[in-house]
Amino acid sequence: MFDDFNLIQNLINALQWGSFYALIALGYTMVYGVLVLINFAHGDVFMVGAYIAFFVASFVLSVLGLPGWAAFIITIPATMILTSMVGVSLERIAYRPLRRKGAHRLYVVITALMCGLILEHANLAIFGASRKAFPPLIEEHVYHLGGVTFTNLKIIVICAAIMSFLTLQWIVTKTKVGMAMRAISYDKFAVPLMGIPIDQIIVTTFILGSGFAGLAGVLFAMSYPILEPYMGALIGWKAFIAAVVGGIGDIRGAFLGGFLLGAVEILVVAFFPSSYRDLIAFSVLLVILSLKPTGLFGIAKTTKI
Amino acid sequence: MLLSVENLIVKYGNIQALHGISFDVDEGEIVTLIGANGAGKTTSLYSITRLPPPEAPRVISGDIKYKGQSILKTSPDSVVKDLKMALVPEGRHIFGNMTVMENLILATYSREKDADLESEYKRIFKLFPRLEERKDQRSESLSGGEQQMLAVGRALMTGCNFILLDEPSMGLAPVLKYELFRTLKQLNEEGMTILLIEQNASLALHLAHRGYVLDTGEIVAQGSSESLMNDPKVKKAYLGG
Repeated sequence: MFDDFNLIQNLINALQWGSFYALIALGYTMVYGVLVLINFAHGDVFMVGAYIAFFVASFVLSVLGLPGWAAFIITIPATMILTSMVGVSLERIAYRPLRRKGAHRLYVVITALMCGLILEHANLAIFGASRKAFPPLIEEHVYHLGGVTFTNLKIIVICAAIMSFLTLQWIVTKTKVGMAMRAISYDKFAVPLMGIPIDQIIVTTFILGSGFAGLAGVLFAMSYPILEPYMGALIGWKAFIAAVVGGIGDIRGAFLGGFLLGAVEILVVAFFPSSYRDLIAFSVLLVILSLKPTGLFGIAKTTKI
Repeated sequence: MLLSVENLIVKYGNIQALHGISFDVDEGEIVTLIGANGAGKTTSLYSITRLPPPEAPRVISGDIKYKGQSILKTSPDSVVKDLKMALVPEGRHIFGNMTVMENLILATYSREKDADLESEYKRIFKLFPRLEERKDQRSESLSGGEQQMLAVGRALMTGCNFILLDEPSMGLAPVLKYELFRTLKQLNEEGMTILLIEQNASLALHLAHRGYVLDTGEIVAQGSSESLMNDPKVKKAYLGG
């Protein structure tokens, strides 16, 4: 049974599911573009974002006693800011000292992997293995349009992802900080020669990437309100793959790759048993990568002598 | 002295690249360092502009002073921002993934808020009309000569009053070389201090007021450009007889 409504329904589901991948993939791709570092801790930064959202929302709801909509309005920016600080701390504590010493990239990637595990297990140690139930912040409305069903929350998630992408795209193409990010990804050597403090640009990159991971954390917790310490692991890996398929280092690629992965997963579930989901989704991505190893937006770099 | 390098000993890893060299540049001068490949010319420039690791040469002893103050602890971006010294590196290192205009805009990153950038862009386009024609093109699509113009234009947009050039003539057709050197002369007449590194000694000495000859990390000759051009040893080794 395959009709127009069904297709639109699946498309909306795919956009919502892909929004999480896209938001997380943006952070992977930005850090990679600037530092040529695969920040494997990023999925866990998303998880930390969801927990931060949980604590902020609980605080606003029960301690301050504010209504859900107020908690929603406060939780989003507060979580983004606090998660940014987590990302910046990781850069300061773990990555910068290695960079100063001129360590090989391999060691930095291993460090990133360890940071992710530390975040997971610190969470486990401090808050225990029991899952946390995220409090409902906004009243969920279900709308029916023709045969298509969607909720206000889904619309919020999709809009947030699109707005984040447009904001980032604007920053990267129109502001000097964004231009500096592109400059670093092309030729790191020449950037300080323009009077640009590289560390400042790197910190900005972590602020933006982690901030959007925090946003993804809030929205994910609102959509699927069960939190556990390992929730960032698989979704982080998938978002990373989405970023690679899109062409790592390119934010349009990360965005598109996120939605593509979301769409493939949802469509697989629509036509096959759900246990096939990851198998088929990853096989499709493997085919895309073997056809275009640099990803959809990736281009081979050339320099002129 | 605007810039003075004093008994500088520099290592790259375990290799000693400079064996205690001294030279200076006064305000408004064009000074050139000439010498063969591997003589230590680029190392001298990188020491001055404080490039970050792993490119940074390690200063073992000696000092580099700007207006009498040691700049050995100054960060590379602060050399540009605060000391107003800009390096045009060998190989140009323009940002090929960005347009010509974006390259110029990026160079104004740390400029003071009240700088009249519009008139400065106009000045660059007057010096290098080709850049204006191509300002919305991705800069990697420029020819080698145009890329060199962009590299110089970009250095100027940092607001520098002291420009350091590393082998600017390399890979340029003769016509473009002369055009570039005429532009450098014009900039100098407008007050720009220039430190020029060149393998093309004849071209460099014709432009510069003074010169130093570097050979395997040591200064082996120095003086006014005329005296160097007439020095038999310099003639034989660097000017093709």
